[in-house]
Amino acid sequence: MAQRLKEVDVVIIGVGMVGTMVAKELAAAGYKVVGLERGQTRATVPEFQSPGIHDELRFDVRKALMQDNTREPVSFRNQTSQVALPVRRWESFLPGTGLGGSMVHWNGQTYRFQANDFQLATRTRERYGKNFLDSDLTIQDWGVTYNELEPHYDRFEYLLGTSGKAGNIKGQIQPGGDPHESPRSREYPTPPQKEHYQGALFRKAADSLGYHPFPQPSSNLSQPYTNPEGLKLNTCVFCGFCERYACEHYAKSVPQTVLLPVLLANPNFELRTGCQVQRINLDSSKKHATGVTYIDAVGREFEQPASLVITSMFAINNVRMLLLSGIGKPYEPASGQGVVGRNYAYQTMSTVASFFDEDVIINPFMASGASGTLINDFAGDNFDHSGLGFIGGAFIGAVNTNGRPIEYHPTPPGTPNWGKAWKQAVVKHYNHTVMFSLHGSSMAARQNYCDLDPTYRDAWGQPLLRITFDFPQNDLKMAAHVTAKAVEIGKAMGAKQVAGSPRKAPYTVTQYQTTHNTGGTVMGDNPKTSVVNRYLQSWDVPNVFVIGASNYPQNASWNPTDTLGALTYWAIDALKNKYLKNPGHLVSA
Amino acid sequence: MEKVTRRSFVTTVGAASVLPAGALLASAQAAEPVKQTHPDTAGVATSDISVADRPTYLFFNAAEVLFIEAACERLIPADENGFGALGAAVPNYLDKQLGGAWGAGERLYRSGPWQPGTPSQGYQLPFTPAELFRTCLRAIDQQLAAKNTPFHEMSADTQDLYLKSLESGVYELDGVPSGIFFNMLLQMSIEGFFADPAYGGNKDMVAWRMIGFPGAYADYYEAIDKHGVKFEREPLSLAEDGRGHLHMRPDIPASL
Amino acid sequence: MKHVGPISAGVLVLAGLPVVLSAAAPVQATKAAAKSPPASVNAPCASCHGVNGEGSAAAHVPRIAGQSAEYLQKQLDDYASGARDNAIMANFAKALSAEQRQEFARRYAAMSAPFLPEPTSSQRQLARGHQLAYQGDESIRVQACNGCHGPDGSGVLHAAPYLAGQSSEYIGSALKAFQTGLRKNDSGELMRSVAARLADADIIAVAAYFASEGPATH
Repeated sequence: MAQRLKEVDVVIIGVGMVGTMVAKELAAAGYKVVGLERGQTRATVPEFQSPGIHDELRFDVRKALMQDNTREPVSFRNQTSQVALPVRRWESFLPGTGLGGSMVHWNGQTYRFQANDFQLATRTRERYGKNFLDSDLTIQDWGVTYNELEPHYDRFEYLLGTSGKAGNIKGQIQPGGDPHESPRSREYPTPPQKEHYQGALFRKAADSLGYHPFPQPSSNLSQPYTNPEGLKLNTCVFCGFCERYACEHYAKSVPQTVLLPVLLANPNFELRTGCQVQRINLDSSKKHATGVTYIDAVGREFEQPASLVITSMFAINNVRMLLLSGIGKPYEPASGQGVVGRNYAYQTMSTVASFFDEDVIINPFMASGASGTLINDFAGDNFDHSGLGFIGGAFIGAVNTNGRPIEYHPTPPGTPNWGKAWKQAVVKHYNHTVMFSLHGSSMAARQNYCDLDPTYRDAWGQPLLRITFDFPQNDLKMAAHVTAKAVEIGKAMGAKQVAGSPRKAPYTVTQYQTTHNTGGTVMGDNPKTSVVNRYLQSWDVPNVFVIGASNYPQNASWNPTDTLGALTYWAIDALKNKYLKNPGHLVSA
Repeated sequence: MEKVTRRSFVTTVGAASVLPAGALLASAQAAEPVKQTHPDTAGVATSDISVADRPTYLFFNAAEVLFIEAACERLIPADENGFGALGAAVPNYLDKQLGGAWGAGERLYRSGPWQPGTPSQGYQLPFTPAELFRTCLRAIDQQLAAKNTPFHEMSADTQDLYLKSLESGVYELDGVPSGIFFNMLLQMSIEGFFADPAYGGNKDMVAWRMIGFPGAYADYYEAIDKHGVKFEREPLSLAEDGRGHLHMRPDIPASL
Repeated sequence: MKHVGPISAGVLVLAGLPVVLSAAAPVQATKAAAKSPPASVNAPCASCHGVNGEGSAAAHVPRIAGQSAEYLQKQLDDYASGARDNAIMANFAKALSAEQRQEFARRYAAMSAPFLPEPTSSQRQLARGHQLAYQGDESIRVQACNGCHGPDGSGVLHAAPYLAGQSSEYIGSALKAFQTGLRKNDSGELMRSVAARLADADIIAVAAYFASEGPATH
């Protein structure tokens, strides 16, 4: 029998970056906030210290920082005609867990989306006509514009101390930055990180082809920085253990380094770890949440009543929480009815490998998670898609983050997987290869969605989230197109051999691509095609707010984190200044 | 670099390995710090890998050891670039992992029901890694014994052909598609070759030296400015002390 | 001359704050490996840094025997250019050509030397120093020294000099110099960021700990 606890103002499910930001602001505003985190607490000291943290087998291969898949995996299939099976080991995407969440082990790649992305449906129609899109695509406008989010992007980047070079300040194009970016109000808080040799080779080649290379915006800082919360970060030393690892030097912008100390010092906030939330509880009208039910690490069940519930978990877990709680109508692809789980998307990743002679020494192990050089000339709608038969694009860059040898030992196509020839190729190419990443958009399609699995359960007896996904034809055409462009850049670098690997179907969960799962609780203006309104408030249960990349109607050409940070400040603004002053629907349906 | 043959390299090892192959000796291997020596300054070479230089196998039995050592050395052979799997103690890595938490199913969702699934859906067998190896090694042993050609007695070329047939999935090893077993063997061999020597493989950091990976101490703030300049530094393990002694720790968990 | 004031036996002075390490007798010097040949008679280094590069705590002169050649050369270059501020060292460094600085760095890197006696420290100081060396301290946002300075503080080539076996006086004065901004030649402000967060007691503790560590082998 669940023990009922004393009511609080706000309960927050998931204390990652989003949960930390919301909790900090609301606790500072005087509200009593409880944060429920299923994982454990951890801090830079001692958990993130080197040399122990620089263990590729443990953190890269075995995914030591990731969600406990033995108790809570997901299930997956490419098509509805297949039976979904459990993802028994994480590979394709790696959800985080624990205090600070996935942002503890992110790469620090900090890109804004462009104005066009927020009104993708409208602008695509305007530019290319209404018959341009493939019939399976269900792309939508977000219900919020870039201009509305700009001050919140700015605030988030200054919280992090992001290192970069602005390309467009209030409409003025800045040399050295990305001329394609949408206007920002001011320069980045710290200058770009140092460029490594790969980046320099890429830059020269991209320039020679008339493209516009710029330094990757990095939340692994280029110099010491004190953020507006008074927290100090240090200089990143390019150790090459960024994604999947935590930073020992206080140089990566993660909740522990940029905000958690402030939150944890506020007595209005109470952190409870080891707490697995089972559902958001609704009253008999089903239009009002009364709080949440959770099970703690010892197995005891509790009911935490609250006036306001925020679900700020990793994207796919947000979707699952609404489905388990019966909030919103679940989506069914056959009928096209329902919204929860709809418009699930991912990221369309391709690579290009450029092999050099042995006198070109690359030193791939010297890098941060975001110290590359890239171009946006083929990202988003930055190029004319007329006649190409697809929308979207990818950034192309020499953005390789590491030389960790279990997973990084590039060999040219045709090299055997093992044996003498393999070993010789590894030695020949390890320190003489430049890898490009092509980070492509992922368009929402009616056949790609999330729901609850009918067979497989987690350790608490709850159905797993079931993901049904394959790359739409649109995205495969995009991948082929940008890969061909990237191969030209490889050749322009003077490489001896350039091999492009455009993304091909079927999507497989057996190969790492990104952890950029989006959609399922989409934001928008229309409750028939969205789960939350433009303030991230549930259309169905107005005292539930859902904050995560699960709100993205489709995924753009860049990593989702900066946009999520901006949306979070945007939602916090609505919570503090609108909702909490006058609870109720903020947007009429 | 001196020419290295399969059996000419022998490095000095700690006291724990002076035992018959396959004898059980709990924890001794793990507890003894092993002095790191560069292969070029190693002890006297012998014409065969002697008992004194074998790791103490805790998981593999004697018959399994014969297959594993021979197979791993075909996957990653010694050549003019340096040691292969045997010289890098890759079989020792496999032995310690399969005999520990990873072999027992760490990080594996183990609930049924089970269906083979599509290739996109990944591993779907009920077996833990340890169970998979036991099952498949027994099946391979039986299959080859029936033809009177144990793997370790085949010529290198014949061994390669056999491994390729396993890789292609032509066989079912007691119900297990052989490709699944082969992929796990190959993946773990690569891990054992390139992982930090704390785990019992990558002996003397031979694999890191071979490619120039500097290891677990990684401050490159100054060096990153030197574009195109070779980075010359002995690799460093996360498990070594200030005197260069390695304290092996095959029991590091796959969680924080 | 801008560095810490004179030391009396058993007392480490940090920016005018005398702090007693211990009243007990100094620790016996540990024996080093075979002595290396002394530097050229024309070199002025030996008169302060010792014939074998063992340094002198009393004169605030660090041990440089076996230190990374690259690191020693950088310090000499920084003294010559003014990137690192010290009137005495600047004179010597400027009198040398770049090639000579490289040569002296190489010579001292190849040396080994006995370790000089250290005043004894309390168990609590050594424990605190050990904690900072291996773990760091979240409450002051300081990472473990050894992450950069190597296994047991034995140094990492191209990254950080050895600390193990360096005199506690010198480590303490170096941290103080970084903390006050007197020394600024740490790229990325990596040491200034750390030193800014260390209280005097922590500086003494970590210095004492590394000094007690004895010989480095890298």
